[in-house]
Amino acid sequence: MTFPTSHKTVFVMDHSLTTSSGVKLEMDSFSKSRSSSGSNSQPLVQPMNLIPLLPVTKSLWTCAVEAITEYCRIVWDIFPGTRLIRFIAVDKTTHKLSSWNLEDQSLTNLMNAFMMLGPAKNVGVGKLDLLKGLRAAIEALTEPSAIQHEKRTSLTENATKVLNKGRIILVTKVDCEEEVKTLKEKFHDTLLHLNKIAASTDNLMAINHCDLVLLNLWPEGPGCPIPRRSWPDVSTIMSCELTNIQGGTALAPKLCNLVLKHYDLASTTVTGIPMKEEQNASSSANYDVELFHPAAAHAAILKGIPAETAHLKTYREGTDYETVTLKWCTPRSNASIELQHCSSAYRITSVDVNSRPSSCLTNFLLNGRWVMLEMPRKSGSKVISHMLACHGGDIYIHTMYTSRSILEDPPSISEGCGGRVTDYRIPDFGELIKANRLAPYPDSALESDDNTTPLEKSREQLSRHTKYWPITLSTTSLFTLGSQIEPLTTLMLKETLTEAEVIECKQVILCLMSMEARGDPLPSPMAGQRGKGMKREDQYRVVWTELEQYLQLHLHSADHEKVLECFMECHNKVETPEYKGDDKVDIDQALKELDDYNYMTEREKADFNLSSGTKHTPAELPIPDSKRRRTAPPPLAPMGRSSGVSLLTLWENKVASEQSRRCLEFQGRLKAEDNVTKLYVSLQKDKDKDEGSRKKTT
Amino acid sequence: MPTVILLDVSLSMSRGVDIASPCPEDENVEGLMLRKDLAVHGCNILLDHFIQHCKLEFASLIVFSSVYKVLMPFTRDFESIKTALNLVEECDKTSIDVGLVGAAQHILEEWGNGTPCQIVLVTDGNAGTGQHSLQKSMMSSHSRGASQFPLPFPFPAKLTIVCIANPTEPCLQTSKPLYQRLIELNGEGDILVPDGSLSKKTVTEMFDQLIKNNFSSYSGTLHCGNLSAPVTLSPPPQPYCRHHDFEVMRVSVDSAIQVLGFLNTGDVSSPPAFSRHLVLPLSAKGDMVMLPKVDPGSDDEGGGGNDEGKIPSFCVLLHGGLKRENMVALCQVGENWHGILYSWADNKKKSNLMLSLFVPGLDVIPWMGKLSYLGPASQLPVNPYGPSDTSSPFPLKVHEKKSYALNCVVWVRQGGLQSDIQKILRHARKLPDKIQSFYKELNRVRRAALSYGFGELLEGLANVLERECTLLPSTAHPDAAIQLQHAYEALRNSDKKDIRQNIAPLKTTFSGND
Repeated sequence: MTFPTSHKTVFVMDHSLTTSSGVKLEMDSFSKSRSSSGSNSQPLVQPMNLIPLLPVTKSLWTCAVEAITEYCRIVWDIFPGTRLIRFIAVDKTTHKLSSWNLEDQSLTNLMNAFMMLGPAKNVGVGKLDLLKGLRAAIEALTEPSAIQHEKRTSLTENATKVLNKGRIILVTKVDCEEEVKTLKEKFHDTLLHLNKIAASTDNLMAINHCDLVLLNLWPEGPGCPIPRRSWPDVSTIMSCELTNIQGGTALAPKLCNLVLKHYDLASTTVTGIPMKEEQNASSSANYDVELFHPAAAHAAILKGIPAETAHLKTYREGTDYETVTLKWCTPRSNASIELQHCSSAYRITSVDVNSRPSSCLTNFLLNGRWVMLEMPRKSGSKVISHMLACHGGDIYIHTMYTSRSILEDPPSISEGCGGRVTDYRIPDFGELIKANRLAPYPDSALESDDNTTPLEKSREQLSRHTKYWPITLSTTSLFTLGSQIEPLTTLMLKETLTEAEVIECKQVILCLMSMEARGDPLPSPMAGQRGKGMKREDQYRVVWTELEQYLQLHLHSADHEKVLECFMECHNKVETPEYKGDDKVDIDQALKELDDYNYMTEREKADFNLSSGTKHTPAELPIPDSKRRRTAPPPLAPMGRSSGVSLLTLWENKVASEQSRRCLEFQGRLKAEDNVTKLYVSLQKDKDKDEGSRKKTT
Repeated sequence: MPTVILLDVSLSMSRGVDIASPCPEDENVEGLMLRKDLAVHGCNILLDHFIQHCKLEFASLIVFSSVYKVLMPFTRDFESIKTALNLVEECDKTSIDVGLVGAAQHILEEWGNGTPCQIVLVTDGNAGTGQHSLQKSMMSSHSRGASQFPLPFPFPAKLTIVCIANPTEPCLQTSKPLYQRLIELNGEGDILVPDGSLSKKTVTEMFDQLIKNNFSSYSGTLHCGNLSAPVTLSPPPQPYCRHHDFEVMRVSVDSAIQVLGFLNTGDVSSPPAFSRHLVLPLSAKGDMVMLPKVDPGSDDEGGGGNDEGKIPSFCVLLHGGLKRENMVALCQVGENWHGILYSWADNKKKSNLMLSLFVPGLDVIPWMGKLSYLGPASQLPVNPYGPSDTSSPFPLKVHEKKSYALNCVVWVRQGGLQSDIQKILRHARKLPDKIQSFYKELNRVRRAALSYGFGELLEGLANVLERECTLLPSTAHPDAAIQLQHAYEALRNSDKKDIRQNIAPLKTTFSGND
């Protein structure tokens, strides 16, 4: 649901509940337990002369705070940061105990706030003004939470549609129904009034809907005289409910019921958890642990045919909500390194958090083990339906796929396009993958100078790493050289190069040069068809061509260019063709220009160099550093499926086409009819056209 | 998406094409054609489309009248459905609700409630005698909390009602609002009526429209920097439209899938996926190629179809690399919509490239943090993966520990308070050895009591400790008595000091250096 009511909750607590709740704790029993469990050397030294200790009784206020902190514990465990709760205590005055700030949404802060507030106070009759507290609560609801503020001021089309809903829970003791009626009506009036005020301000939000819950706290003993009631539609902006909650054993399940309803949670009982006995470590018994989580975690198994899943749902002793019982499966140790297919993951919390079975299970999970949960089917078969796992300190319940998968029996990758190719450079690509691993950036690194997110940076890096990347061995000679071209191919990918790195790269080139001069065979057998049957000098030539292309594509900085310059010098190539990044030069155009250039006279060449100096700059010309850095290679090789084309092939194609052009048939002879060719056909055509148009106009 | 062809086989489907003019001027036999023949004709068009373009889809055939019957359960063998279509027999009246119940039941049994499905209801545009009952059950669906009526389907489903009827027919006019209501109840779907009078041609056009609207396959490009490959996704990805807490998300998958970086499989920790898709490379012509399995005996040089297998595809390289390194590729498929690509094997030897789409948004996997904050590890001052690949920055640690990791105080259940006091006493009896634990537990209970406004407990606890003190055996260490006395006196004086201050152990001559 959009804009859930549960986003903001305000507790208004009656701080005058000094009445005893009737819940007693026998203090005497603690000492007695000592003598009974004492060691045999001091048998039953029960001192008869001790004054019995008085039992301790909880006040209603104590019950209320205990219950409310438990409510918050569950909510904050499952919805950290998205479901906010704040507190207002009322005695003679109104105490605002917390705010919507995220720092206030923690148990530690809540306990501290209540500690500073102190125990319940007796106020005189008529001095307690609950309405004042409710008024403060409504005011609190009109204050936007951080996320509401963000959405409201987001300047998107949705900004105006942000709804402000909330819930106010009044914890008090109501003695008669008349009281409820007055509270409800006065609350509604106040709500309307404060909405008007909020609507006239910029920083407050009018409340679109408010759910008022009157939590009537009643001492242990005979039942409460006022029945539970709800008014779902007090008006379009308000609903109201009166719930009785009695101190003692009934308090916890009642409270759970309330949280479950308010936050759309559900309960799962993990059954059959083997645990060592506390006293006797050699034997083990099976225990059950109950967990709460968003109800949606059950959707995958419960939505559908009700009869199929009815057997899963039971009521635990003393509770009035359903729990789904799933069976613990002995965990596999390697579960966490495999990808499990799950459709959702929600945070959980254990219901009886400090009980031994609960803490045993949660500690097991916190230590990094994953637990599969098994759902018995009506037919008797079983299926793994959920998984409990801890990620970074929070425990989650993952929903697994339980039904047939539409992806069953998929074709293997080897049966599709490219599946029969056997010389993919998979180990090399593995290195590329490792070099492009992602990691979370700290907040300090986020404020980059150019407004790019770290993820965009990664995309840029990937693009840099794949500028020249033949995907199969048969389309490359350069990358079959193995260690011979290291570290050049790793270093050239970097954004910048140090002086030493430039030298390392140059050494790789020089080393190759000297190998060629010595007539050494290339270190790796030329894999694939390209090397087969080639003469040694041809093999070197292919490598040089490819290396030149590679270097041309990796001109990320002036230092990168130094490597290319070194290469060029080695091969007596004077000019370094350099491309401006903003000029989209494609290879065809470049080759054509090169052709034209060859046919030019010296004069034309000079002119051309002047006019297109930005495109083709002789290496000797000094270029400002800033300009150089901006230069980028042409958008050349999208090395996908069509990337089989290397520079060599391009060159060969060009030569071939040139040759075919040279022995082209004379056009006149081609068009000749009966060995007669009409000359100046186009002139005649133009003339016809002219005449035609003239006729039309006249 | 699995598809149910829900075919009306009521008697009215055996009507001729046009009752108004039984002898059409066309000389061909179309006039003698029955509506059910046209329906079968249309279904065959749809099935032929599956055979051609959606080989990995599943379809089933259910016929209905006053009862429903699953003629062909979900299968990829579309030819068998075509055969089954020819054997359809006519029955009695049209009960659409019966048919819908049948479809829902069949889908739930086969695919559960999480798989998006398509239901193509082929009928004659005449809710007919069933009309009254349909209306009645639709009305009751509200009053009875939708216990019986199958709409909306308990799984994501598109309902398309295809009418083999003349657009001008009076009974179509009366039935149409009813159909409209069905679509509204389901929330997603459409009604198709022939454009022009009923004939083989208009029915063909109508089914072509159906295919275009609902069954077109995905075709896009997988990019990784400057490397790329044309791909299709199976099943085709559905647009995402759901209500989040503070916004309604509406996104579709782009035609470009962009790899942004890589992560360890263990680090992504089985993230929840909105949907999963096979990534299949397309040929240069844009076709999906399924090569015949290699016969180990014969030589690889088979027919011309094998050529596609020999043109390198980046998909295969990516798959190989991810599998080799046991890593996944984080990719972007739309605005703020991400997913992961990984090698996946269907518990057999066959592995394939799979895409799991997350729920759209940037903060969807809590243990990975905001996705846009993930950047190249190599550019960080210190590589978080460590020099030898032994460490990992994932999962992100939460700032606020949860209650189950905090040893928080809960006294709302019986026994909670008891066991906390017993724990103090257990430590008290082992003083002075357990002095630190004793004070830790004592302060924990004390703070809770003060927060809960439970001052009486402090006095009660002081009394218990005082009695413990008097009960100390003669063999006890002298420090035990001193510490106990210090503790119960401090508990009683709580109100005289700053209550936020914990009770500190008393320094004695026995306690050694501290």
